Amino acid sequence: MISSLLAESNMSAKLTLIAPEIFLFVGSVVVAVLGLARSASVRRAVPTVTALFLLGSIGVTAYVYRSDAVEASNLLLPQLGGFVKALIAVIGILLVMVAGPAIDRRLEEAFDSGGAAFDPIRVMRGEYFAFFLLSLAGTMLIANANDLIWLFLAIELSSLPTYVMVAISRGSRRAQEAAVKYFFLGALSAATFLYGFALLYGASGTLDLVEMRNVFADMPELPTLAILGGVMAILGIAFKLAAVPMHFYAPDVYEGAGSQTTAFLGFMPKVAGAVALMVLLGVFWTPATDATGGATAVLPNAILATLWMIAVLTMVLGNIGALLQRNVKRMLAYSSIAQSGYLLIGIVTGPGAGYNSILFYLIGYGVMNTAVFAVLGSLERQGEEVETLDDLSGLRQRQPALAWMLALSAIGLIGIPPLIGFFGKLALFAAAIDHGQTALVIIAAITTAVSAFYYLQLVAVPMLGSPTARTDAVHAVPSSWPRVAAIICGVGVLVMPLAIERLVTASGATEVPTVQSLETAAEGPSEDASEADSSAPTEVASR
Amino acid sequence: MSLTASLSSILAPLPATLADAASATIKPAVASPDLSWAGLILLLPAISAVLCGLCAARGVKGKLPGVITALSLLGAFALTLMLYMRCPTDAPRTIHLFDWVSFAWGSGAAEGAKWTSFLAPFSLYVDSLTLLWMLFVTGLGSLIAIYATEYMESDVGKGYARFFGAVSIFLFAMGSLVMGGNLILLYLGWEGVGLASYLLIGYYYSKPSAVAAAKKAFIVNRIGDLGLALGIFLIWVNYGTVEYDALFQAVTASTDSLNDGSEWTKAAIPYCLMLGAFGKSAQFPLYVWLPDAMEGPTPVSALIHAATMVTAGIYLIARTYPLFQLDPGALTVVATIGCITALLAATIGMAQYDIKRVMAYSTVSQLGYMFLGLGVGTTFGAVYHVFTHAFFKALLFLCCGAIMHGMAGQLDLRKMSGLRNVKGFGIISWTFLIGCLCLAGFPFTAGFFSKDSIIAQAFGSGNDRFVLLGWIAVFTAFLTAYYTFRVWFRVCGGPTKYEPGDELHGHGGDDHGHGHGHGHGADDGHGHGGEWHPHGPRLAINGVLLLICLGAILAAVPAYLGGPHQENNWVMKMVSHSSAVGGIPAHDHGASHGADAHAHHALSFTGIADVHTATSVVASVAGILGIAIAAFFHLFNRKAADGLRQTLLSNSLTRWLPIAMENKWYVDEIYHATLRVPARALGHIFEFFDKSVIDGVFVDGGARIPAGLARVFQPLYNGVLQGYAWTMAFGVALIAAWVFWLWLQGGAA
Repeated sequence: MISSLLAESNMSAKLTLIAPEIFLFVGSVVVAVLGLARSASVRRAVPTVTALFLLGSIGVTAYVYRSDAVEASNLLLPQLGGFVKALIAVIGILLVMVAGPAIDRRLEEAFDSGGAAFDPIRVMRGEYFAFFLLSLAGTMLIANANDLIWLFLAIELSSLPTYVMVAISRGSRRAQEAAVKYFFLGALSAATFLYGFALLYGASGTLDLVEMRNVFADMPELPTLAILGGVMAILGIAFKLAAVPMHFYAPDVYEGAGSQTTAFLGFMPKVAGAVALMVLLGVFWTPATDATGGATAVLPNAILATLWMIAVLTMVLGNIGALLQRNVKRMLAYSSIAQSGYLLIGIVTGPGAGYNSILFYLIGYGVMNTAVFAVLGSLERQGEEVETLDDLSGLRQRQPALAWMLALSAIGLIGIPPLIGFFGKLALFAAAIDHGQTALVIIAAITTAVSAFYYLQLVAVPMLGSPTARTDAVHAVPSSWPRVAAIICGVGVLVMPLAIERLVTASGATEVPTVQSLETAAEGPSEDASEADSSAPTEVASR
Repeated sequence: MSLTASLSSILAPLPATLADAASATIKPAVASPDLSWAGLILLLPAISAVLCGLCAARGVKGKLPGVITALSLLGAFALTLMLYMRCPTDAPRTIHLFDWVSFAWGSGAAEGAKWTSFLAPFSLYVDSLTLLWMLFVTGLGSLIAIYATEYMESDVGKGYARFFGAVSIFLFAMGSLVMGGNLILLYLGWEGVGLASYLLIGYYYSKPSAVAAAKKAFIVNRIGDLGLALGIFLIWVNYGTVEYDALFQAVTASTDSLNDGSEWTKAAIPYCLMLGAFGKSAQFPLYVWLPDAMEGPTPVSALIHAATMVTAGIYLIARTYPLFQLDPGALTVVATIGCITALLAATIGMAQYDIKRVMAYSTVSQLGYMFLGLGVGTTFGAVYHVFTHAFFKALLFLCCGAIMHGMAGQLDLRKMSGLRNVKGFGIISWTFLIGCLCLAGFPFTAGFFSKDSIIAQAFGSGNDRFVLLGWIAVFTAFLTAYYTFRVWFRVCGGPTKYEPGDELHGHGGDDHGHGHGHGHGADDGHGHGGEWHPHGPRLAINGVLLLICLGAILAAVPAYLGGPHQENNWVMKMVSHSSAVGGIPAHDHGASHGADAHAHHALSFTGIADVHTATSVVASVAGILGIAIAAFFHLFNRKAADGLRQTLLSNSLTRWLPIAMENKWYVDEIYHATLRVPARALGHIFEFFDKSVIDGVFVDGGARIPAGLARVFQPLYNGVLQGYAWTMAFGVALIAAWVFWLWLQGGAA
């Protein structure tokens, strides 16, 4: 096949583009080894080394994505990876700041005080951060996926380490219970989308995404097999997003895992899921022209309807579920479900404005999500995690900075101007309205209003509440890193709108596939598709 | 449609010559990145505001905040001067500082395309109008800040930093209002100066009247701001841009006639903007906040409520003058409202006893003149009057402030007399006199020239309505001269006699410390038992008074150098190179002198052919007559004034006149009865409705729905792994079945 030959010539380009992942992979090995060191100071350096590798991967990404390899890689969304990798690495560094001091803290204290002898079996820090880096590498790889196998492996690489991370995130049986639930349900979802992938392969006869798109574009009518495959794949990937109906695990897992890991779960799997959907749906979006003659793209009805329904249900159930929670982590779990619903609006809107608005939204969401969990991670109550709203009552009087950061990020999550969350929602909603998804935006606006009810509790209780006997036992954790992360993120929520132009430009990493681009792509990898393609536009319009 | 049509028919439009006068006279702006240091003019006050905030937070005791503010404002003034020197005035300059608001959407979101992008970069639009405004804003701002360092010294360590912080915010906002390159920046500044004004009027927040005045100013301004906001929306809707440069090009390029009636959104633009201008510049019917705003410290009254902020409305109309020229009816409304306000405020000013209030009403009245000038088509006259008024009114307020400062808060003109002979009050008295002469339009003072250029244009416009307005303006000039000199003759003339104020005016409760001698004005207390004596101001106040007095005198110089029709007037040059080009001689002087028949008719009794000279003579006579009457009643024969009042009061036919004037024509009471009371009643109704129906049924009931739903779904989240797996699988199956069903319907693809 021609494509296999081409694949070989593309090999170097592909390898170039995954240099950041390779870098992180090396990092994970280094970190895993360092974590077993006998010297406490070496073990203590593990988070720093992790952060340095992430920093390095940003540099590598910046370098690699300026080269010719991007165009040579034959991807559906060539520029997507550059943005996603940089975003993941930046938020990753902030998450390392939150998680660094927390993992193995009790054990290390016991070692220091001589209460326990060093035992390489019991230290987890190296392992945790090795898996952390592996998961990030997996998430980055999704953005580069050019065939279904790669996509599957990348999604699994981003998922599997998180199960372990949840299990070792804190020395509590609840964490292990959460990990087991997460693992089994994750396996179920993997089965679902693998089944979907198999159907897609069956319908198109190819694994390569670009080729698959061309095959589908050539068909006079999309086979039901392909549609069912697409639906199953979407539903499976919905697990990563914690979108309805694959969201059930989220509250239990978020509650069970340690705050630092919950911060990770609140963001990285969302990125993985959203990017996976973008990449996968590329095979279904077909270019068309809108009423005014501009370039746009359309989805097959069934796929669109599925996404639409998932989006609506996710927004509604996520926001409603959060209303009753007194446990902050559970509340945020539901809120993160709702946030996935907003991301799905962008998915429905499609490549170009829709996808770009998702990428832009993710910047703000990542920062706000990290800020909230960094505040939680900065506090402890009698050595336990701070979990309920009651623990936060009157926080302003004891930890004014943390209370302010919590308030800022909660207000940002509602989407109140002038914070970054507002602009994220604005971009998503504006793109959706522009592409005729007004109903979706109205539902999103209503559910956002509902979300204000529970988010504002994160403002009102710490700011206006008064300290109680219960909160007297709440103290800041000894390490200042989570606090620093909270302040960086909280201030970021406030000042990022000043750089809005830059952020929007940076997140403009996708573009609408035009009929021309489809034709040129078709001419390249598959010869036999090119003749039939000339009649594609009319077919597309009729479809 | 009907709006335009009816308005145009009620208000007879100007001759078409005025309407198309603006065509293509506004040059496209030239981007000048080399001038980007001009951004410092805005940055300096902003930094100073932050530093003052820090001083307040750290509880700095000392004059540091005042010094910071004064220095930063002086710096801004120096930079403005530099900009004036360096910036060529052949075409407007735009200085792009950074991207600020920048949206694009739609399929055609090309760079700068109309209606598919909303661009409001933080850029400056500098033409000669901008420079003129910024020169006196920063110049007077720094002088008044210096004055305030001494004036506010009794508050050092208390509100001192707060005061100067607000002044700095004001200067920053005023800067962005005037220099901003688009209407969004103008709006930012507009709201910013409103905020600063609110903060400063309510500076003595322990005084209920100050708080009420601050609220009143803020709320009345909201009405105007609504108009401005709507105007900006409509501009965007119609022209697809809010940037001045693109807007002016779009306006001058648009050939479609306005009066086709179909585009009422376009026709409404000047009326909306006008409403905004009337709110900020205290015009009828929105003027009521300005007299009450005198509750703030006097330097604030001088800076914000006389010299700079209240002229923002004039600036707005001058800046967007091309939009007004499209609709002569709108200009007629501006002229009429301005004239009504000028007369109304002057009659109220005649009957007030509080000297600051007299000055406040005179400000309202003079602002009315400026709007009259804009309305009759002489933007030059309006802007020149803004310029001269800024100096002499700031001077008058600062004199009032200095008197109040020295007399323990005394402001009642019946309780002070002959201050010119009191030691330490000499400079105040004589600078006060010069200010009064300017305000009264005494021949060959600055106020005389600027006021005359407005009245002359009204007579020379060749429009009967404007000629009538011109006569009202002349009559108002007579009233102005009377009430101005009523104040001066009462306070500075006559036998020396005074009693201290009760600190009620302006120094709200805090001890001002006048009771103890500290070396100023050490002569005996003239019948006050020698315990209290007024103290004259020191260097900062006296120096600033002299400097501003010099400015007020020198403001007449451009008129002397200007030639017979002021074509060489510096202000005229500045105006004619800007977007406010409507009133330049090249257009409507030609038009007006073409219509000299009217002017001859209107002023033919003077026997002078030239309308300008004739106006000067008429207005001079009116002014001198006013001064003479004031001198009779308030200098030579004060009993006669009281007698006249008694006579009027005792006659049942005329007794309403002094009472109504002293009570400000009951405008506040009318507003109270017609607006506040119904609004309050409506508020109570809404409150009831809100509490019982909205809160009770919709909110609480509505809130129960999500919570109830949440409870419904709660059992699903039972924490059992198998249950989760089963539900997820069920969901997948359900959706797969649904797709299958869709396929059966034949609509899957």
